[in-house]
Amino acid sequence: MPVVKVLTEGIGEANLRDIKVYRERGGYKQLARAFKEMKPADVQAMSDKSGLRGRGGAGFPTGKKWSFLPADVRPRYLVCNCDEAEPGTFKDRMLLEETPHLVLEGILLGAYAIESHHAFIYIRGEFKRGYGIFMEALTQARKAGFVGKDLFGSGFDLEVTAHRGAGAYICGEETALLNSLEGKRGEPRLKPPFPAVQGLYSKPTVVNNVETLAYLVPILERGPEWFTAVGTERSKGYKVVSISGHVQKPGNYEVALGTPVRELIEIAGGLRPGRKLMAVQPGGGSSACIFEEQLDLPYDYESLQKAGTMLGSGAIVVMDDTTDFVRAAFNLVRFFAHESCGQCTPCREGGHWLERVLHRFLENRGLKSDIEMLARVSHEITGINLCPLGDSIEPFLASVLKRFPEQFEARVARETVRA
Amino acid sequence: MSEQQLVTVTIDGTPVQVPKGTWLVEAAKQIKREIPVYCYHRKMGPAGLCRICLVEIEGMPKLQIACNTAVTDGMVVHTQSEKAADGRRAVLELYLLNHPLDCPICDKGGECDLQDYAMAYGQGYSRSVDPKVSKPKAVDLGPTIVLDEERCVVCQRCVRFDDMIVGERELVLKDRGVRNIIATANGEPYRHNFTGNVTELCPVGALTSKTYRFKSRPWDLRRTGTTCTQCPVGCQMHVDVRVGVVQRTMSVEDDDAISDGWLCDRGRYNVGFYDDSERITQPMYKRDGSWVQISWDDALELWAAAISDACAVSPASVGAIGGGRLTNEEAFLLQHVFRAKGVRNLDWRAGRQRQASPGRDGGKLVDLESADAIVLIGESPAERAPIMDLRIRKAALQKGAKVIRVASAERAYPAQIPSMDVATVAEAAKNLPKGAKRIAIVWDGCDAALATSLLEKMPKDARILTYITGEQPNARGAEAMGMLPFCKPGYASVERGLDAAGMFAAAREGRLVVLSIFGANPALHYPGFSDTRAPFVVVSDLFMTETAELATLVLPAKSGFEKTGTTTNLAGDVLPVNAAQSLESPAEALSDLEMIVALAEKLGVDLPVAEEVDAAVLRHLASAPEDFTLGDERFVMVSPSNHPEEHRKARHEGLTFRIIVQSRILAGGGTSAHDARIAELRPLPEAAISPEDASELGVSTGDYIDLEGDATLHDLLVEVRPGMPRGSIALIGGLPDGPTNVFALDATVSVTNIRQAPEEAVEPIGAPA
Amino acid sequence: MSDFSALRERLKKQCDEIIAQYEQPRSALLPLVHLFQQSEGYASPEALRAVAEMLDLSQAVVESTVSFYTLFYRKPVGKYMLQVCRGLACTLNGAEDIMAYFREQLGISHLQTTADGLFSYEEVECLAACDRATCMQVNLNFVYDLTSQMIDDMLAAMRAGKYAVPPLAQTRAPERSWTERQDFEVSTGGKSAGAQDQPDPNNPGGLDRDGIIMLDRILSDEARFKGRTNERLANVEPALAQVIEE
Ligand SMILES: Cc1cc2nc3c(=O)[nH]c(=O)nc-3n(C[C@H](O)[C@H](O)[C@H](O)COP(=O)(O)O)c2cc1C
Ligand code: SF4
Ligand code: FES
Repeated sequence: MPVVKVLTEGIGEANLRDIKVYRERGGYKQLARAFKEMKPADVQAMSDKSGLRGRGGAGFPTGKKWSFLPADVRPRYLVCNCDEAEPGTFKDRMLLEETPHLVLEGILLGAYAIESHHAFIYIRGEFKRGYGIFMEALTQARKAGFVGKDLFGSGFDLEVTAHRGAGAYICGEETALLNSLEGKRGEPRLKPPFPAVQGLYSKPTVVNNVETLAYLVPILERGPEWFTAVGTERSKGYKVVSISGHVQKPGNYEVALGTPVRELIEIAGGLRPGRKLMAVQPGGGSSACIFEEQLDLPYDYESLQKAGTMLGSGAIVVMDDTTDFVRAAFNLVRFFAHESCGQCTPCREGGHWLERVLHRFLENRGLKSDIEMLARVSHEITGINLCPLGDSIEPFLASVLKRFPEQFEARVARETVRA
Repeated sequence: MSEQQLVTVTIDGTPVQVPKGTWLVEAAKQIKREIPVYCYHRKMGPAGLCRICLVEIEGMPKLQIACNTAVTDGMVVHTQSEKAADGRRAVLELYLLNHPLDCPICDKGGECDLQDYAMAYGQGYSRSVDPKVSKPKAVDLGPTIVLDEERCVVCQRCVRFDDMIVGERELVLKDRGVRNIIATANGEPYRHNFTGNVTELCPVGALTSKTYRFKSRPWDLRRTGTTCTQCPVGCQMHVDVRVGVVQRTMSVEDDDAISDGWLCDRGRYNVGFYDDSERITQPMYKRDGSWVQISWDDALELWAAAISDACAVSPASVGAIGGGRLTNEEAFLLQHVFRAKGVRNLDWRAGRQRQASPGRDGGKLVDLESADAIVLIGESPAERAPIMDLRIRKAALQKGAKVIRVASAERAYPAQIPSMDVATVAEAAKNLPKGAKRIAIVWDGCDAALATSLLEKMPKDARILTYITGEQPNARGAEAMGMLPFCKPGYASVERGLDAAGMFAAAREGRLVVLSIFGANPALHYPGFSDTRAPFVVVSDLFMTETAELATLVLPAKSGFEKTGTTTNLAGDVLPVNAAQSLESPAEALSDLEMIVALAEKLGVDLPVAEEVDAAVLRHLASAPEDFTLGDERFVMVSPSNHPEEHRKARHEGLTFRIIVQSRILAGGGTSAHDARIAELRPLPEAAISPEDASELGVSTGDYIDLEGDATLHDLLVEVRPGMPRGSIALIGGLPDGPTNVFALDATVSVTNIRQAPEEAVEPIGAPA
Repeated sequence: MSDFSALRERLKKQCDEIIAQYEQPRSALLPLVHLFQQSEGYASPEALRAVAEMLDLSQAVVESTVSFYTLFYRKPVGKYMLQVCRGLACTLNGAEDIMAYFREQLGISHLQTTADGLFSYEEVECLAACDRATCMQVNLNFVYDLTSQMIDDMLAAMRAGKYAVPPLAQTRAPERSWTERQDFEVSTGGKSAGAQDQPDPNNPGGLDRDGIIMLDRILSDEARFKGRTNERLANVEPALAQVIEE
């Protein structure tokens, strides 16, 4: 079985929310070791050597991101991104709710590595339960002396603040997140400057995903070579993938990168009996679909990119032959239109336009000319926005328009009268 | 800054050399290549929201926004390539998706960036067949501005202006995504001193001025460039006239030195007064206690005869007041004519201000931006010289200057402007930022002792820049032109005559017989003026002012829109005043210059020819005095209060208060009373009081009180103002219906007759009816 | 002392602690609004004013920020906020039927509150529980694997006051909806903004009173048009006449 248990180790078996249980299973050992035996630079070097890439969506090499921090500007901040709202993604919520101490230990290690004395975790507003669980874990850890002043006698102070969002997908984008954390509207910032140079409170800041930071713990424990031993050329190690949609056993599964997509679907119980696979969205709502003939693609960053899609947040949505692709396209377009912050004209107006046109299709009032227009307009609004959200509208829509044109044509009004 | 590094960028095949770091949009302007923008603004920098400024840069796969791309050496840019044009076209189509096509009735039509770009870069049709989303079309944002939500393109320029330039943050973006809309808090009226600028910033017709809505098409306007003569800042502006009427005034975008490209709401909205039906159109003579219209010739005869007769007895029995509201040329000729007759009683200071020329350390307005600290003493420029206040805010918001106000009775600056209030000059000096190299001192020209004591406490190694913000626009010019009792043009000393206060006292005692007043209203600003009993008072003004009512002869004058000359601002810049083209003014009105020339002729005084006047003006303005500074003692008035003795003894029990007089941009001068369109903007007579005093008296904001001292003032609206010095009450100066001049300058008053506000009276002004 | 000032007094210590967590006070904006909303059931105008005061911000800035986030309710809501996921994975698993059932049982639709003030209903974006589709949140508590039977039981228990999740605080009676937000997905009824003969006073379709005055002026001042300059138009590069296509 290619399913592994690294981050997910113990989930469902033990109450990892209890610091005692977590410590009995080896928790916080790496933290203690880092503080006592390693310099921040050593931790950085470990993560760099492991080839760990960001698990939040962009897949940017973590060590490289850290290296952009200007050497002489202090303070620095680490912000853990737990705003998980990419359609189909539910791994960070699981980690937060089931193994909060692992998340915290990852944050503490990351903060130590970049010499940040104040780390934040931005938790999606809807995760009220997860927020409560994390706050409890934080209290336990503080009592145990893992958070606060002079950790492990190293002289290193480290505070962690949990910050709850309030309902806005765009706050997952790192600069929007920083604005939100500063008490502002969650609007992405113009780049440059990048957060590594001017982030939170205009100070150098690293934003990392929950899962990314959590992997620091096993990497420290087992060494970077253990991590690089699996995966592909440039996609190393393991990944928690969220598989949902038309599969029999939807859920989070931890696998080695490079596992073929077909195998992943099987891990999730495969399709329901008698159903035929039509499309797979491999990397969250922003990714283009792959189809049956592409199921042997290895699930890694490069292979998917080469196939014209992406690994993204690692959310796999499987769609069988009961799927109404017009409805699915409308669903995702509406999502992005609804979640657009509204700063950029193409994203704001374009998203809304496409949503309205697709809504007409749902009512069987499409126009023949609309089909081409949908493809053209969604393409035109791509690549000219301030943040990637505006560019996320096209991929899914374009891929299903191309693959299932007949579903759209079927919803064209019989008699078209131009308004 | 050290030598700037130059780089060469090629735009559409033309190489252009610019300093490194220049934004691409600005670089393109140098070769007259327009890159369309909505959200970018030169004074606010890139925002990167509208995405209309797309260009193709060689070596970059995606189109880039020109507003946020700093040029680098060797960069090759195409603004007209097929790819760039296509991107722009796509963005424009999106703009027009839900934009109403109501251009025929849109104020912006003809000067609308959406219209222009749609014409230049658009495809001319839309692929959308769905109906446009409709939204409210006439949202009342406050007393000055109306918002058409459908037309808004959400470029956020107005929001950023309120945040970055004014620092008030009243106009904000509400909601999210396609529902984004401009709004104020909870529908509160949008009100500060600079609101009108958003109508110019708005690239489309979403934000429009109530005073200009539906008044004209831009191409029907005759435009004249001139200087705003409503305060001593002297902003450059355009006056736009149609059907003989000033329809609007507009800022001059590249006026970096003075206005920084903005106008305050006084300069923008207080522009209709000259057109009022109450304007004096004929010379008026008071015969047996009632007014009769007379001809100019008769008026000049009477005036000249009065002066000649009095001078024959003694020139000391003749005096003239004015200059602060005149042009430099007018002030020069005024003193020339009177001095030629041996008259030494000349002054422009008919109000509270004592001095207007800062002397050797006088700074320019732009210099404020390089100051490490700005100390404000007396009344701040906020209401007297608003655009200077904006420059101070800029220094604080964008350059981190520290603003320190000494013993201020004013409302606090918004929290985001780094500022502090201190009680004494000594505290101000103590709180200067460490190692401050440049310190600006801004004084209101009233209390000389404050100014000099502050100067003494300044660090020796710091460069000091001084400014005097006055009550009258050309006060500094009037001084340089010799409208002072102790100096001739160019500040040359002469034997001293009577100052304004002395003249009023002499007039009351019968020692002054003929008093000529030009563009001043001491009855409204000078306690006790109404007791003046000079036999022959001549007043030149637009309206039958409180002072004119007391006169013998009233002469119809021209306003600042109707005459030509130069004016001097508080920083000593000589600025052109131009009569607005095709403006219709009353046929009989004369400019003060024309009156003085005619008077000179009747008096037989020789005048220099026009070229000599111009040369003299420039020469005298240039001879900035080297030997005096803030609070120079020559400017001290001989008799600061000429109020009858018994009036000064206040009849009061309990708490007593000292009066602090404060300006409001639309209170001074009384001109705003003569334009119904801006009635909503005029402040109500109010009395501000510290929270401590308020609780002791048992009053709160919104109540009404009377003040009793040597006279009684009724129905003042109470504002409890944190930070007010205890024992003081701040009143608005210059309001005809709540005049501060009923009290002597150093009187104390007590509060009587406290009553709660009737319901409707507390309704915020400007709330939708 | 009003109810609100009593509440503010009671929460003062907590507010101060929250603010102290951050290097810059403004960061406390979201947490403070959460705190007040928890006590009052919604982000009341009084609360927003208080937050503005505590953080030294203009009220407009606080309102602007709060209006960005869908979890802040700017008007009172029902005691049970029912938020059903409309994300893709849930939709693939029948969320539309579940939502239709909810609407039918409650008699209200998206973004509305029942007349008795008990329920508010919203269809929300992916809740990150796709493995348990179809799912929802009741007062931000997850409910998974929804069926119509579960909905019946849930609503009955809530009506009887016996549901496991406690009701939200409700300090004021809710209105029909707590938001001005519309999703604009419903067509706007063929109304074209700026068109003539719109009875909507908000949208006079062009000629309002001032507009007519302008027309009058133009007509009576005909001679003034002679001097028109076209200056601005002349500055624009000559553009090709565009054919307006149907
Ligand atoms: C619209 C949008 C939404 C995003 N949402 C999330 C999210 O919910 N969680 C997350 O970790 N990253 C999200 N990201 C990616 C972040 O911007 C950022 O790249 C990431 O947090 C960096 O962490 P990593 O390097 O560990 O992946 C989002 C990006 C965009 C453009
Ligand atoms: S692309 Fe969309 S979400 Fe991103 S900044 Fe622009 S408007 Fe906001
Ligand atoms: S001007 Fe460049 S994006 Fe608006």
